[in-house]
Amino acid sequence: MGINSTIRNFIIENFLFEEDENLKEDTSFLENGIIDSTGILELVMFIEETYGIGVDDDEIVPENLDSISNITKYIQKKQEK
Amino acid sequence: MKFPKSVLDINPGHEVSRISDFIRKMAFKEFKRRGAVIGLSGGIDSAVVAELCVRALGREKVLGLLLPEKESNPISLEYGRKQAKKMGIETETVDITENLSSLGVYQNRDVVIKGIFSEFNDSYKFHITLPQNLLEKDRLNYHSITIEDKNGVRQKKRISGTDWLKISACQNSKQRIRMIKMYYYAEKANYIVAGTTNKTEVMQGFYVKFGDGGVDLEPIAHLYKKQVYQLARHLGVIDEIISRPPSPDTYSLPVTDEEFYFCLDYELLDVLLYAYEKNVPFDEISNTLGLEKEQIERVFRDFKSKERATWHLRQMPPSLKD
Repeated sequence: MGINSTIRNFIIENFLFEEDENLKEDTSFLENGIIDSTGILELVMFIEETYGIGVDDDEIVPENLDSISNITKYIQKKQEK
Repeated sequence: MKFPKSVLDINPGHEVSRISDFIRKMAFKEFKRRGAVIGLSGGIDSAVVAELCVRALGREKVLGLLLPEKESNPISLEYGRKQAKKMGIETETVDITENLSSLGVYQNRDVVIKGIFSEFNDSYKFHITLPQNLLEKDRLNYHSITIEDKNGVRQKKRISGTDWLKISACQNSKQRIRMIKMYYYAEKANYIVAGTTNKTEVMQGFYVKFGDGGVDLEPIAHLYKKQVYQLARHLGVIDEIISRPPSPDTYSLPVTDEEFYFCLDYELLDVLLYAYEKNVPFDEISNTLGLEKEQIERVFRDFKSKERATWHLRQMPPSLKD
């Protein structure tokens, strides 16, 4: 499964409770109230455990984590390093 | 200028009279109770509410409850007592440490902290914070734990969502036990429980459901924190309380409201919350506060996110109509 599908499934399962509510690749989690501060911590842990990468505190920014496409790009960038 | 910095200035005398009438009417006529219980935390909000209740009901009909636990800042009890003495009200001091211990609050929480820092034990202090650079750059809120050993050496780590939920559930028990104590004393005296939540806290959901939010009356819930300070000065709240940085005082290592939740000082926070509530145009906010549009948008996103995450605090439990 691709990164975007894996992240999408995680978001739907944990924050939208099985209803995808038109979740698009570029839907902002923050603007749409999909994830709160506890959810961010859960998301970060999921990324770290699933992809074996360390997320630094200063990387917890919307540019990296606020949509499926941002997360996918962020993980790809981290994996290239 | 339509949006002056003084937008939150109030007429304290008028406000004291208005709130006192409200408390008197509610307590005596609506609730049909003989007085009011207030939990004196040693902070500004409870001191102001106690002063207002004294003016509304008379000092002999106000009971100040001091409810420390082993992790409370000792200064809180000292200031609470000094404020009560200044007002001439009766007080009761009930240490809730044993209640919390019997519920396993400290033990369950410390197991979680030990999982994060294996060296953590009773000699350590700890607190939780959010990132503080709200005006500076786009960021998402996440919780970090800081522990401090007896030599003052600190370590800080970001915590997982599940650990935060477990710690938070334990910490919130402190306010919930206080609520139980307040109702015990209120009911046996046929008093109401007066709440101390201000508008800043209501709007952003900075209180505990069925904890400090579990009260009969909220006399200052229409006033921003900045306005509570104006009332405090007018009412003669003791200087120690007025000059003390606001804190939840539920963590063994001191932390301010700003560090723990708001990420902005009250001075700026309240004016921006007002602008957010009233939909003041960005250029007016920018002119008055000297902030870039980008910074204001960033703060408003944070407001919206906290408002949305805590919507249920401001409602009765949802139910079907029929």
